Amino acid sequence: MRTTLTLADLTARTGLDVLGHLEREVTIPVIDGIQAQGDLLVIPIALLATDPAGRARRYVSITDSPRWHEVPGAGIEVLRAGTGGNPHTLVADPGSCRWTTGVIDPQRLALGALTATAVAYLIHPEHGGSGIAPGTYIIRRQRERRGAARRWTGFPHAGSDDQYIAD
Amino acid sequence: MSAVRGPGHHPDDTFQFAPSPSVRLPRDASPVEKIRLAVALRNQWLSVGLSTQPAGRSAAEAAVSRLYVQAGAPPPAFEWVPSPLAALRAVQAARPRYPAIQPPRQLVRQRLREWPVAARLASLETSLHSRLDARIRRTEGTQWDARAANVGTVSMYAPEDAVLSGLSDRSVVVATVGRSLRGTLTDSVAAPLRAALAEAIGQAVDEDELNPGGGVIAFHGQHGAAWIGYYDARRQAGFGGYASADLAELDVWATLAKSAGWWWPGEGLCLMAERPVAVHTEPLVGSHHGELRLHRADGPALAFADGFGVNALHGTPVPDWVLSGPTPELIHAELNIEVRRSGIEQLGWDGYLRDGGLTLAARCPDPGNPGADLELYDDRPGIGWGAPGRILVVTNGTPEPDGHRRRYGINVPGDLDNPVDAAAWTYGLAGEQYATLARRT
Repeated sequence: MRTTLTLADLTARTGLDVLGHLEREVTIPVIDGIQAQGDLLVIPIALLATDPAGRARRYVSITDSPRWHEVPGAGIEVLRAGTGGNPHTLVADPGSCRWTTGVIDPQRLALGALTATAVAYLIHPEHGGSGIAPGTYIIRRQRERRGAARRWTGFPHAGSDDQYIAD
Repeated sequence: MSAVRGPGHHPDDTFQFAPSPSVRLPRDASPVEKIRLAVALRNQWLSVGLSTQPAGRSAAEAAVSRLYVQAGAPPPAFEWVPSPLAALRAVQAARPRYPAIQPPRQLVRQRLREWPVAARLASLETSLHSRLDARIRRTEGTQWDARAANVGTVSMYAPEDAVLSGLSDRSVVVATVGRSLRGTLTDSVAAPLRAALAEAIGQAVDEDELNPGGGVIAFHGQHGAAWIGYYDARRQAGFGGYASADLAELDVWATLAKSAGWWWPGEGLCLMAERPVAVHTEPLVGSHHGELRLHRADGPALAFADGFGVNALHGTPVPDWVLSGPTPELIHAELNIEVRRSGIEQLGWDGYLRDGGLTLAARCPDPGNPGADLELYDDRPGIGWGAPGRILVVTNGTPEPDGHRRRYGINVPGDLDNPVDAAAWTYGLAGEQYATLARRT
């Protein structure tokens, strides 16, 4: 998509709504670095080539034969929280962006990876729009430390000491 | 949990039972008209699932009796009680009539007629599901549908828009009827009710999660509208019919859904619960498909005549103290993180931080979030929260409708001393990486 879309343009083009009080007429910045949309973080894949301590090559990587999905004009929901959450939707001009959930992430925070040849956008009803410059990015969700004492919630957490944040 | 509560939710809305308008499909109905009808039918079934009317006892008893006979058992005696909790207590008092239901792998080794009647009824229900699903698959065939879309994609559109945008109506009906009813009635009402029942009878949810009575099977009466409504709306809106015997059987379950709350079938005795007397909900922000969740800040969101109820804030089930008097001490002692969060939100993060005795360990500007700071607090030692940790208090990148930006806390490991390192940790990054964050919305 163009690099000078406003939130109003983006909602008109995608049919996705945002809350009424968000600023609609300002151009959405297009960013090629790290940016956050609520509980999601968009990270250039090159920054995740090594672990946080700077070791281990291919630390976070796309699997060898991932199933890529072309992002349609209507977008792809990359995350919708279970009860009451709003979706973060990835939108792009058809043919310009692909999405895969085939990502290996030792921290188990990656939702997937996108690779875009033109500007793509993440849109969320409460957070508005985030412009993503062409490139390949991992989208991670946010975690929170769990208390040591646990109560079964009905959902397995695979032995993790942490849990995801859903906003 | 939503960090932002948008406009369009009305915390004090009480769901009203809507009288069913008569709906009929025109002969030459277009896909949009079919979807419009499916949505109207969905809303009717949602009303059924959230009804607070007194039970239609004779209709319910007739339907249950018919199911017993179909399962090869004589019609039972009936006992009506005001709530599912009262029903469970009565089940416990009448335990000889409620033989423990064995796990399916043991049941299948026995002859069907030796099964407890509740297991036979459950089997009737799942068999009906299978036959209806098989019929739907045959009706739709294996033909490739170029306009089919996954439920997630369809959910982003208002139902009529989805059809007009070229998505197939049969994909849309799954999202706007099936997923919507299940999301509201099963996930947002029946599941918290089941958890509240387990808690009320002093049973951990994990002991026997599916059977809060311990080896007995609850049937969900009005909340069965989630699946019954889906099959019914499909048929009435012109997405294909069912075998007449299956249709008649579906009608029996539909009658039950329209006339009673949860029920527990036993040998020769069936305990029937009345419906709730109040259901308070709010719409899911951003949903195009009429989904609701339980929400009430000043009392139980789901209330029964005998005082049993379910407290819920924005869909999160919470104990009484969260509504009646959240204090920093009670919040500290709470182990469930969502409940703790709800308690803090009732109290307000600013008030919690001011009164909670938390000690500020460090503060610095929040990368990519102009005008906001990251604040790292020490937990109060020795109270709740498990092993020592810290709380990172962050500020939303996007303002609320009233212009202020919400602050909230995130639990982080206790060995993080730098707020940027702590924020980085929440996304699995190093502090130096997070420090380059360009923009937060």
